[in-house]
Amino acid sequence: MILRIDRRLLQNVDWPLIVSVMVLLSLSFISLWSLSTTGSIAWRQLSWVGVGTVALLVVIALDYRNLVRAAPFFYVVGLGLLLTVFVLGRTVSGARRWIHLGPFTFQPSELFKLIFVLTLAWALTSRWGRPLSRATLVWTGILVGVPFFLVVRQPDLGTALVLLPVLAAVFIGLGMRLKIFAGIILAGVALMPVFWLALKEYQRERLLVYIDPFRDPLGTAYNVIQAKIAIGSGQLLGKGVSGATQSRLAFLPERHTDFIFAVFAEMWGFAGCLVLIMAYGLLVLRGFEIAAGTREPQGRIVALGVTALFATQTLINLGMVTGLLPVVGIPLPFMSYGGSSMVVSLMALGLLLSVRMRQFQ
Amino acid sequence: MDMTAPSGTTGGRRDAWSKRVLALTILVAGAFVMLLGQLWYLQVLEGSRFRDMSEKNRIRVRPVAAPRGILFDRNGLALVDNRPAFTLSLIPREMEDRNTVLARLSVMLKIPLAELTESLARVPADSLRPVRIRRDLSLEDVAKVEESKLDLPGVVVEVEPTRVYPTSTFAAHLLGYVREVSDEQMKGGRYRRGDMIGQTGLERLLDEHLRGRDGGERIEVDALGRPVQLMQREEPRPGAQVVTTVDRRIQEAAERAMAGRPGAVVVMDPRSGDVLALTSGPAYGLDTFAGNLDREAWARLIKDPTHPLLNRALQAQYPPGSVFKMIVVAAGLQEGTLNPMDRVYCNGTFDYGGRTWKDWKTGGHGHMDLRGAVMQSCDVFFYQYGLKIGPEAIARYARAFGLGAVTGIDLPGEKLGLVPSPAGRRERGRVWHSGETLNVAIGQGALLVTPLQVARMTAAIANGGILWKPRLIQRVERPDGTVAYTESSKMLEHVDLSPVIWAFLRSSMSGVVNEGGTGAAARIPGLEVAGKTGTAQTVANSKSEKGQDHAWFASFAPAKDPQVVVVVMVEGGGHGGSVAAPIARQIYQAIFLEKVAMAVLAGDGS
Repeated sequence: MILRIDRRLLQNVDWPLIVSVMVLLSLSFISLWSLSTTGSIAWRQLSWVGVGTVALLVVIALDYRNLVRAAPFFYVVGLGLLLTVFVLGRTVSGARRWIHLGPFTFQPSELFKLIFVLTLAWALTSRWGRPLSRATLVWTGILVGVPFFLVVRQPDLGTALVLLPVLAAVFIGLGMRLKIFAGIILAGVALMPVFWLALKEYQRERLLVYIDPFRDPLGTAYNVIQAKIAIGSGQLLGKGVSGATQSRLAFLPERHTDFIFAVFAEMWGFAGCLVLIMAYGLLVLRGFEIAAGTREPQGRIVALGVTALFATQTLINLGMVTGLLPVVGIPLPFMSYGGSSMVVSLMALGLLLSVRMRQFQ
Repeated sequence: MDMTAPSGTTGGRRDAWSKRVLALTILVAGAFVMLLGQLWYLQVLEGSRFRDMSEKNRIRVRPVAAPRGILFDRNGLALVDNRPAFTLSLIPREMEDRNTVLARLSVMLKIPLAELTESLARVPADSLRPVRIRRDLSLEDVAKVEESKLDLPGVVVEVEPTRVYPTSTFAAHLLGYVREVSDEQMKGGRYRRGDMIGQTGLERLLDEHLRGRDGGERIEVDALGRPVQLMQREEPRPGAQVVTTVDRRIQEAAERAMAGRPGAVVVMDPRSGDVLALTSGPAYGLDTFAGNLDREAWARLIKDPTHPLLNRALQAQYPPGSVFKMIVVAAGLQEGTLNPMDRVYCNGTFDYGGRTWKDWKTGGHGHMDLRGAVMQSCDVFFYQYGLKIGPEAIARYARAFGLGAVTGIDLPGEKLGLVPSPAGRRERGRVWHSGETLNVAIGQGALLVTPLQVARMTAAIANGGILWKPRLIQRVERPDGTVAYTESSKMLEHVDLSPVIWAFLRSSMSGVVNEGGTGAAARIPGLEVAGKTGTAQTVANSKSEKGQDHAWFASFAPAKDPQVVVVVMVEGGGHGGSVAAPIARQIYQAIFLEKVAMAVLAGDGS
């Protein structure tokens, strides 16, 4: 049942998606390689790509409809994992986001992004979810609110911020009236003070620093300033690997993970960035195209949700590194170093491919 | 209610979906275009400016340590202060040729190479945050480093505030030492590597208040790491100031009087529970920790068989010896099993349970009434009346006076002590031998107390029954003058005895000192001191060599209007009367200096 291979499935493998991701993975490998003298980080990342590829194949083989059907189960497990973080979690710079698994650490909030999309697909196509009514909004709100709260409390502001645009994209796609949508946004804005109070001290500080970078010349503002210098100094054609002083002399913080784009931009300049942005553009536009061309309701939401996930993460990360947005800890999909992020991104790609391959069934 | 926008036929619905997805696509595509615009701006339009900045202007961030809050005594004298000191740090990322630099540094300053590499191994090799290697560098060493600065890239000397103490060991156990945060302590996530935090005593208790908040500097450095220009400085916020209850003059006098002997002194105000002085010997040098991070010295200190880190005033327990007889007297009088008129003939021995129990004085004291028995500390009297009063009553009163329980002082690691009783023994399934009652009656046997407990007990005798929470901190003041914390005197328990009994206890203790009792060595003309001596055998049934007994003197003064309680315990010091009482005398002389001087001038006694 699971591994039945339909010839049509293989015919419908979406090459533009695969090519764009392969380009991104290569750029990631080059950047990580040039950051360390031994290249060990790059090799470790490659092994995560291996693990992620297996996960991707499993996701494709399982058929997204089966996964959506099992979404309530995933949802409960996901909530359980998020709660476990509070009990067993390991603290990294004041935030508990990781769970230890032997030598590995694992970040449940990453995995929850996928579970979130599947849960949305399940909830909004279920008996209770149609038509899109006020009641749907309320209970989808609860379904989303609980994990959202847990993630914010970890505190992982980045992941929490990614989930909201995904939700918005799905609602817009399902045709929520703009008036109601605007109402929800206004309500959200009205609730900002409450949200402000729920934030941790350092998160508030980050938002304040965004408004006034010199509030904290040692911390966040330093990161942003150094990232800007790194990117800008890349100029049109980049400084190459050996000339990239900002990255190699470690003026740049978190350069393997959240700020990896700055490393790339310094080394390869605007020309390199253009290639990178085009790869992301291809990935996202193709994702939207798949979503638009899908007729099956669950497939639509899955494809749209996953694409929105990629788009949001990419745009928030790049916006933050280039100084357009406040600094929130969000990895750049397929580029940033990190096992959880890489495996989950590849699994998300698997979902998208899976929808595409079954479009004509 | 359907909230979706109107959407024609079912066939048209698919178009509507595609349209909406198309709208989202355009939105996202627009965002990507904006991003490219920003990149164009940064890399092409402003690129040469940023290129310039990346080549010439390197910004380094340097933390500026906040000065620790200062601890004051009750009269506004500083107990501990800060002074600027030179700290040698390494910036891992700037050490291009690490091994050469470390080797040079090791030879120049005679720091073991292993220590340097070990310090660096604990941080990422590309860290920009300075790693502190040595604190409180000598001027000579600073000059050496500054001279060869060009050969030592990544080596910096910073000025940081460091603790300075009146003397190296002054109030060591009370103040506690400050030391760089350990790997273990870093796990909580509250500290950064290199933070100096209070590890024991008041420094630890008040660390949150004392620490302040570090500031920082953004410095422009050239390619060799030399500072070119200070770009921005955020001033550190100094820690809060603490006003303690300690009297520096008395603390110094107590330490001088102990002269380095092992043991403890507690000076307390019986009217408020304020701790005026608290010493423990042998003490350790507080500056051992504030200065160099010398691991060998630390290891030596931990392994020292005399346990200098132990605060003997509250973390060590001893048998109280005859000091405990005051409890036995209080129990007997209040319970009616003992009367001031009771008399015993003491011939130096007492036969009980098929064994002969000896008095401390061979040949005995002769005829003794209760007051005489307290003054001469006659053991035979207390053997006899201990049996009559009974071990349960004695234990009950001992507990009422706060023995066998923590005093509640705000210092960590306080010991409970032990008050044995037949009932307690039964609960643990063991037997009480009736001979033990005799031991307890003279403050020996299984009975254990801390000097601080004895001070509180003595204060209760002096003030008529109030058991205070020993107070160490009066208030904590933030740098802006606001008060972060205050503490007022707190009565924890009250011992209820008839006023006549309190008066008897005080007067007999005065007799111990002023009427030819065992504490005569504490007598001061012009000041009526009341006290009780104690000589506690270390282990009741061991071949206790002479001089191994602990010498106790628990006292207060003036006897008629008690203002100060002084408890002295000299570990292995010998007799309480000949060893501990003179020390207390010295302390009283310092406290009541003017009063005593006036009395001498007036020719009152001699």
